[in-house]
Amino acid sequence: MKEGLRQSMALLHTWTGLLLGWLLFAMFATGTSAYFQDEITRWMQPEITGSADPVTSAEGAVRFLQRTAPDATSWYISLPNSRSATTQVYWQAAEGQKRGKRADTSAVLDQSGREVSTRDTRGGYFLYRFHFDLHYIPVLWARYLVGVAAMFMLVAILSGIITHKKIFADFFMLRFNKGQRSWLDAHNVTAVIALPFHLMITFTGLVTLAIMYMPWGIAANYADRTAFQDAVFGKSVEVARSGNPAPLVAVAPLMRTASAAWDGKRVGYVKITNPGDSTAMVNIARASEGAIGSRGEEISFNGITGRPADHSMAKGAALATESVMIGLHAGRYAEYGLRWLYFLSGLGGTIMVGSGLVLWTVKRRTKLPDPSHPHFGFRLVEKLNIATVAGFPAGIAAYFLANRLLPLSMAERADHEINSLFLTWLAVFVWAVVRPSARAWPEALGLTAALFAAVPVVNALTTSRGLPASLLAGDWLFVSFDLVMLVLAAGFAKGARRAARKRAEGPRAVRRKTPEAMAA
Amino acid sequence: MAKSAANARTTGPAGRRIGRWNVASRIVAAVPANYLVTSLATACLARLLAHGLAVNPAEASVTATLLSFAIFATIALFAFGLRSVSRLWLWLAVSGGVLGAALWLSLGMGGRL
Repeated sequence: MKEGLRQSMALLHTWTGLLLGWLLFAMFATGTSAYFQDEITRWMQPEITGSADPVTSAEGAVRFLQRTAPDATSWYISLPNSRSATTQVYWQAAEGQKRGKRADTSAVLDQSGREVSTRDTRGGYFLYRFHFDLHYIPVLWARYLVGVAAMFMLVAILSGIITHKKIFADFFMLRFNKGQRSWLDAHNVTAVIALPFHLMITFTGLVTLAIMYMPWGIAANYADRTAFQDAVFGKSVEVARSGNPAPLVAVAPLMRTASAAWDGKRVGYVKITNPGDSTAMVNIARASEGAIGSRGEEISFNGITGRPADHSMAKGAALATESVMIGLHAGRYAEYGLRWLYFLSGLGGTIMVGSGLVLWTVKRRTKLPDPSHPHFGFRLVEKLNIATVAGFPAGIAAYFLANRLLPLSMAERADHEINSLFLTWLAVFVWAVVRPSARAWPEALGLTAALFAAVPVVNALTTSRGLPASLLAGDWLFVSFDLVMLVLAAGFAKGARRAARKRAEGPRAVRRKTPEAMAA
Repeated sequence: MAKSAANARTTGPAGRRIGRWNVASRIVAAVPANYLVTSLATACLARLLAHGLAVNPAEASVTATLLSFAIFATIALFAFGLRSVSRLWLWLAVSGGVLGAALWLSLGMGGRL
């Protein structure tokens, strides 16, 4: 390969990776945690135990909605899957009624249709939404920003591959304590081992919001997006209420019929329009864990007679490909073995982005005209690196801690949990700015390690589901959560120790390899 | 100080110095011009599949949309990989022109839903 091409690709790789690298780090970290969003939610709602049956839950939810919102335009019932125990219901207020806040038109129910009394939290769902909606900024802007970042990532991956000389040898290359070489190895190993995952996750991530980023393929054939959606999902006929009351058909038999049509796969979602009216309709969608494709099967029933209604969705290779791409990205189909692989690959991706960011400064430090007084750009990157690589994980740990420590009766409690994440992140950023970078690195990493280590301790002190109790009870979800926190704490503590040692030795001592460093 | 660092970085292939304008023009080519050409290519492909090859329009549109990200990434790589900036812009202008004309003709012939 021509050296010139490799050089220009290296340049492209460096800058596409750096410019939005901090956002990509946060996206990778929250996206990785989102593979366990149901488990995180369960950990964050320690009051809820046991499991729930989807059919019983649906019946309970219908009873709740008949009491609470009998004349709503539609009811949405998100049923528990094999990993969760609660039912989420939302309803759309009848026309003419003013729209209330989200909390006024939604509820979390147990299997018998009673509202669960648990601490107010958005759980793992918040981390999942942050992954593409961010926070504190309008969702639309966030999604464009996230899309630009994902495209930068795709270009960074491709140019990184072209730059790379010995892609196979680097599978086996991880040299510790070698300064810049070690950072490069860490970057290469995490990038190369999970390369198919990184390519897949970045491309499919773009596909999840493709219509927003690249609407012109649809604009070329359809007058507007609604026409396209009608062609794909079947025409959504919004029928107005007739005003003639009629009792709603029982949902349980419809769910069984639907399940049977899908070879026994469970139902994930029930939507009821115009409940209690003679125009009622029941839409039943397959649970997303039932197959890879995200666009699940759906069956519509007449809401009075229970007869299947005509509902045809377009089928074809491209639509199926898109559906599978989105499904691969979200990983909802994955059982635990594969789910852990997703999680580890995502962790690898997070480390890849983080080590790449650090590498940018490590590579340039030696070439600085005056390494003790770097120029503004270099300092900015260094501070943002500390704030993000150490500070963002610290924020996630603080989010979990806030869940256990904030008073249960606090108003807007869920929002305060989220604020604690961002306040911690901000605090680490401020700390990184005011302290010399060489000191701020071990301090910030040490803080992150301490926060993660505190999570199982605080959990044991504030709930009856601490690590010893969970071990005895065989509650593997809680055991795994606490253990992952400890592993993360150990990882950050190791990073803090290494950064502290490097500071003590100074950049020169590392290259001279003192006997102490060899022994350590 | 920052300037000398920037110059040292951008010493390009064969020891040639790459100027600021060279990099700036490649960035314009790689992002806005690229998006324009990719959009035209996506729209053209969707029209071609739906009207030329009688593929179901939803399928045609989704096929083109899925490919668009690969097209965008490829053009972005070329924007920095091609040695000559003038050749890069020539390629972009010609393909943009051809695709734009094809789309205009296709829309002019009607059949738009």
